[in-house]
Amino acid sequence: MSLCPPRDASSNINVPEAQRDPNEWNEKIYHEESDKALDLLHEKLEAYVEDLGIPESDVEYSQGVLTVCLGKLGTFVINKQTPNKQIWMSSPVSGPFRYDWNSGLWVYHRDGRMLLQQLETELEGLTGKPIKLLS
Amino acid sequence: MNIVRLSAFRALGSVPGANQTVASFGQLTRCYHKNVVEHYENPRNVGAFDKSDPTVGTGLVGAPACGDVMKLQIKVDENGFIVDSKFKTFGCGSAIASSSVATEWVKGKSIEEVLTIKNSDIAKHLSLPPVKLHCSMLAEDAIKAAVKDIQAKMKAAAAEKGAKAVASSQ
Repeated sequence: MSLCPPRDASSNINVPEAQRDPNEWNEKIYHEESDKALDLLHEKLEAYVEDLGIPESDVEYSQGVLTVCLGKLGTFVINKQTPNKQIWMSSPVSGPFRYDWNSGLWVYHRDGRMLLQQLETELEGLTGKPIKLLS
Repeated sequence: MNIVRLSAFRALGSVPGANQTVASFGQLTRCYHKNVVEHYENPRNVGAFDKSDPTVGTGLVGAPACGDVMKLQIKVDENGFIVDSKFKTFGCGSAIASSSVATEWVKGKSIEEVLTIKNSDIAKHLSLPPVKLHCSMLAEDAIKAAVKDIQAKMKAAAAEKGAKAVASSQ
């Protein structure tokens, strides 16, 4: 019977990148990319909504949930859904969607629509004012 | 609504509760719509059929990690009409109500017809707030999954019947 405690396999010190747990790496990428996307949306939508000056409109971002209230025009809710590694959106125009990270884009796998494109189209359709979310 | 009872049933979703009933200093903030409360307090068709029953279609959708799991089952007659439906849901009040509504709406309809039930209809009926539209989508998915299951069973049964007919004619 060994008296030595088992090696801690979860320690990443000196483990080459290629040998690290792929799940851990995917989760890291997920958080980086989804945080980047939501930060970008927060910044752009806050400026956009302020410019529009719609009564009772508001943009709030907290704990991975971005709420964009456009007064009587409706509310978008865009949030991180970490267990699925997705971004979820609820749109007052088209309902609920779930986007996966796919080759640099957030894509709804059922019909291939992309989060940023969809938001650009729907926001312009709702308010009449275009918005550029894609770089 | 009793806050303690609601909390006991509330799953840990990753989105902060958008429509909890909160009574603070005598003020009510966002509330569940009365239709949601009705389905929550008197859910219709809670239960289960035998999954291996050839007349039963089972749709299991969602994930515990997300905070929502729905199992919706349909009992289908020989003409493809849904004669009964049952559900079991782990999730928030809106998820429970959405699946309860789904089981009510599928009864008496054909399996083709229920594929036209849209999440937006369920959401409208329950006046779901934006953040809870995902619950109604899950209910629509559960219906579609149950229909897919029974159609696969019916196809397999027909194939078996066909094979037996061929065998007995030889």
